[in-house]
Amino acid sequence: MTLQTLLLVALALFCIGLYGVLSRRHLVGVLVGLELMLNAASLNLLAFSRAGMGDAVTGQVIVLFIIGLAAAEVALALSIIVALYRRRRSVDIDRLRELRG
Amino acid sequence: MAENVVVLGSAAWVFVALALIGGVLAVTLPNILHAIFSLALSLVGVALLFLALGSPFVAAMQVLIYVGGISVAMVFAVMFAFALREGPAGAARRRRGLAGAAALGVFAALGPVIARASWSPHVTHNDWTVAAVGRALLQHYNVVFEALSVVLLVAIVGAIIVARREPPQ
Repeated sequence: MTLQTLLLVALALFCIGLYGVLSRRHLVGVLVGLELMLNAASLNLLAFSRAGMGDAVTGQVIVLFIIGLAAAEVALALSIIVALYRRRRSVDIDRLRELRG
Repeated sequence: MAENVVVLGSAAWVFVALALIGGVLAVTLPNILHAIFSLALSLVGVALLFLALGSPFVAAMQVLIYVGGISVAMVFAVMFAFALREGPAGAARRRRGLAGAAALGVFAALGPVIARASWSPHVTHNDWTVAAVGRALLQHYNVVFEALSVVLLVAIVGAIIVARREPPQ
């Protein structure tokens, strides 16, 4: 499998995640799509590292940082969603439109 | 164009299929709990690809933190709080169409660029051992490492403050 093939696989994963983020109405569903997009980025970084575009540890270390940041992001997002649900009894993004321009 | 072979063997295609099928299921299944389990499947596929790329440590962290931590936290939150299904389908068809068009557009815009570009590797010294990753984390990337631990602490404290019940007045 060449670098190009792996980049195309990661692009497909990214587009699947983008579709999820745009089409879901459940807030947790949006979060699921976001995780897929982050994983596609990680896959790209490690593929570049393996192909010799950067040195070996840089790709791995940045992927570890992405995983750590994703953990923080999910913890905060879930707590915000829980607080929203408690107040509004809904996690449907179509009902949360006070801030819409 | 130089052929940059990064993964050997045909088993990698199984991992790719796992990641992509899990991803498609994760964004299409109507039950949000099933979607999270499909996300876990996709994450395992990506972890196996990391393994095939030669980085067992990152693959292990992916399984431990993503599959074991993030997915399980999502399942807990969903099962504690929410309705499992999305609301009645109103403008769902039109939204799905637009979302699919946007996703296909991004793929059509970036795919040919990736297929046509040619990269030439320039790094000759490559050390893929876990020891090298550990040294890089605690020496060259030490500031980022510490900052990330502070970010995690702040995020967890913030999550507790946001999600706790307000005390009765």
